[in-house]
Amino acid sequence: MNLAIFLEQILNGLIAGSMYALIGSGIALVYGTMKVLNLAHGEFYMLGGYFTFYLTVQLGLPFWVAIPLAVLLAFLLGMAIQKLTIEYLIVRENWAFTTIAATLGLSIVLQNAALLIFGERFNSVPYYVDGVMVLGDIRLPWQRVMIFVVALATIAAMTWLLKYTRLGWSIRATSQDQDAAEVVGIPVRRVYMICFGLAAALGALAAAMLAPISAINPWAGIPILLKGFVVVILGGLGSFPGAIVGGLLLGVVEAVGVQLTSSEWRDVISFSLMIAVIWWRPWGLFGKK
Amino acid sequence: MFKPFTLQARLGMAGVLLAMLLLPALTADPYVMHVMVLTMIFGIFASAWNLVTGFAGLKTFGHHAFFGLGAYGSALIAINLGLSPWFTIWLGGLIAAAAGLLIGTPILRIRSMPHVAIVTLGFAEIVRICVANLSGLTRGEMGLWGIPQFEGFTLPLVGPVSFTPADKVSFYYLALALTVLVLLVIVRLMRSKTGLAMLAMRDGEDAAESLGVNLTRMKLMVFGLSAFIVGIAGAFYAHYLSILTPASAVGVDLMISIIAMVLVGGLGTVSGPLVGAFALTLMIEAMRDLENYRLLGYGALIVVIVMFLPKGLVTLRERFFPRPQEQ
Repeated sequence: MNLAIFLEQILNGLIAGSMYALIGSGIALVYGTMKVLNLAHGEFYMLGGYFTFYLTVQLGLPFWVAIPLAVLLAFLLGMAIQKLTIEYLIVRENWAFTTIAATLGLSIVLQNAALLIFGERFNSVPYYVDGVMVLGDIRLPWQRVMIFVVALATIAAMTWLLKYTRLGWSIRATSQDQDAAEVVGIPVRRVYMICFGLAAALGALAAAMLAPISAINPWAGIPILLKGFVVVILGGLGSFPGAIVGGLLLGVVEAVGVQLTSSEWRDVISFSLMIAVIWWRPWGLFGKK
Repeated sequence: MFKPFTLQARLGMAGVLLAMLLLPALTADPYVMHVMVLTMIFGIFASAWNLVTGFAGLKTFGHHAFFGLGAYGSALIAINLGLSPWFTIWLGGLIAAAAGLLIGTPILRIRSMPHVAIVTLGFAEIVRICVANLSGLTRGEMGLWGIPQFEGFTLPLVGPVSFTPADKVSFYYLALALTVLVLLVIVRLMRSKTGLAMLAMRDGEDAAESLGVNLTRMKLMVFGLSAFIVGIAGAFYAHYLSILTPASAVGVDLMISIIAMVLVGGLGTVSGPLVGAFALTLMIEAMRDLENYRLLGYGALIVVIVMFLPKGLVTLRERFFPRPQEQ
């Protein structure tokens, strides 16, 4: 194997990893603020893909209109779902289990509703940008470059939001100490709802960016959810920066692992990495004990 | 849980057991027998999942890994080494228990429920992919067929007993024996000091630890026992149906059905998982035409039960006819 192909695979790994980072950071955001493990997170990815497909292919909107619309729809849907289910469960005594069970049920409902509404066909979206970037011996389609740039921009925007806005301060305060946040007048319940919406939006954005490369079907969210879980375990559960680094790392490890074995073992590689990390550093590679 | 059984409860249990024993005399219809055998296999699986999740408080979502390991383990040993299924189903249980201890060790020493949920789910996915990819051994998605059946024998008074697809009644009694055995083990365990310690651990880890409960050892013991029981249920399933596919034996759909059954019946009760398995299996069979909506129904049922009836069906009576509080 020559060096250029190897580097190309590493770059592709980083690009896939940037999408894992978006998924993982959504899971981390929800877990970090309300300590809810959202098993329905993959379905926001799946629905985001369908929204993008219908807006671009069926309605013929240009991608730069369709993608923000799809993301907005997912944001609203996420907030609505939180308001209708988690909102009531989280105040109960046994919330830690009931929220996991309820999101599991939701995920199955959403998958099978998508199957009934959209059918089991694999849908795909045409490339948003054409052409191939050539850097020496390395060739990358502009589509993939765009995915990476959008991911970086989103991560930057989220970091800015968390660090410099009042909403971000409320989110961080809530995740540090929910009761204290409530005492100083932060509307914790509204923060929960917005975080759920933001997580759904991040998932939908990842789906919109990946839609031209990987097909959309009712089960598209399942592998993505599991990847997101690996990411948050690597980065430390509930840590936003951890999820970003964990995502990129997972992308590269998978790319190298697939080079060494074959693509059908990709998921076994990532889950084994996750279990190894739990043995060695259960609080995550970057988290604190 | 620790009160002595009342006369009422004893009569109830005896009545259900008698009804189950007599059912084949009323109708030996192969279809009814088949549905009942599946109900009991799922009932055993559900009871074992309830043991870790409802009684010990370890919320795992990957128990289908142990079902698949027991099923494929027992089937492959029986096929390749020519051993009798009467022996290999126990090996299937042991394989599942070993896997349970292996995966339990890293997650059970840390006290984080999400880690347990995530890692068990990931482990089940590893098992499923391995079963699907190692097609030289397991025939992958093509399905493993030609799994040996249990050998027949001759019972005094009854005569020869054989286990072929035509003799559902003998499978029925075998499944019933297994179910009763598993229930006895679970009830004995839960009424012992260990069971009391387990409930204490579920309700307050720190308090239980301060009273001398070794949390890690207790969790590993329950996890291993539960995996063993599920492995045996899987092995029985393999030799009953004689064909296995990765989706049917290690699919996540299987776990979802089990979770729905336990939640419907009542998490953390002895009879709940069995009641749930029976109710859902009957419901599915009654609505055969709606097969496409089966999973949708399970999902909705899980959400509705969790939101509106968190303690399940078996506690309904107490809800509508509350007993006077004991002094």
